[in-house]
Amino acid sequence: MKQLVTLFKKEMLEMARNFKWIWVPLTFVLIAVKEPLVLYYLPQIIDSLGGLPEGAVIELPVPSAGEALAASLSQFNTLGVLIIVLITMGTIAGERKSGVTELILVKPVSYAGFVTAKWSSSMMLIWFSYFLGYFLSWYYVGILFEFIPFADFLQSFFVYGIWLTLIITIVILLNTFIKSSGAVGFISIGIIIIATLLSTSLSHLLAWSPALLSAYTNTFIIGGNFPDELLPSIIVSVIAIMFSILASIAIFKRRELA
Amino acid sequence: MEILESINWAILAPIIVIQLILMAVAIIDLIKIEKANGPKWIWALVILFINLLGPIIYFIFGRRS
Repeated sequence: MKQLVTLFKKEMLEMARNFKWIWVPLTFVLIAVKEPLVLYYLPQIIDSLGGLPEGAVIELPVPSAGEALAASLSQFNTLGVLIIVLITMGTIAGERKSGVTELILVKPVSYAGFVTAKWSSSMMLIWFSYFLGYFLSWYYVGILFEFIPFADFLQSFFVYGIWLTLIITIVILLNTFIKSSGAVGFISIGIIIIATLLSTSLSHLLAWSPALLSAYTNTFIIGGNFPDELLPSIIVSVIAIMFSILASIAIFKRRELA
Repeated sequence: MEILESINWAILAPIIVIQLILMAVAIIDLIKIEKANGPKWIWALVILFINLLGPIIYFIFGRRS
């Protein structure tokens, strides 16, 4: 346990030195808050860009508060996921390349502790950034449109967070057996895209798919109700997360000993 | 100019501040870092002139770990 704390502190220090604790939260805030603002100012933006024939009248439906918040979530689902993959793809693969892993592992450090410290520090950073971004977006939606009940905000926050957790875990898992961080990033993005495409196009068959969590969260924010398929997909995600962590520890151990 | 006046600056100001902080941190890091992933002056241009995304691109691809 003490070892885990030390390793965890090392990860934290490294993230602080890389300025990750500054730029990742700020980036998440930017991409989240941008959406309600753009939606709110859309009529003015179209006006100022011009190019419309004289007398053209565009009636833009005023988006509801739920739609504005859901727009932020969909930003997390594209840009946010991309950033998560890009910053976590090198956590182990990059260190292995630069030789840091060997430096740490010659000491009596448990492999499980090493992987868990990596995972939990990435989790801390991403969840903190995600909360900050999503919360501020919720606040902006409240000011510009109307306030969504805080309980609804929290529920959607946690449900969608499960999907982000699964992504982090998959990236860490790939990290344990792929040497180049570029390949880790590429394959993770590939897996995420394929999973999302498959589950959205075959949603009646794959209603339990974790990739649908974002869609379920969207329906919840806009419509106010979670679909019944939510529970299975949460259960599948949690199982997948736990399985991936255990698998990463096992694979990492075997690879480093070999 | 009417448009500039119609915008609620209290709402927009935090975003601009965040953008400036990101830019400042990226530039400070670029100055302090020994070697960037490519010529430093190009990264300076990227950070300063690519709106919103410049500093982020630098942090992800510009630092050589």
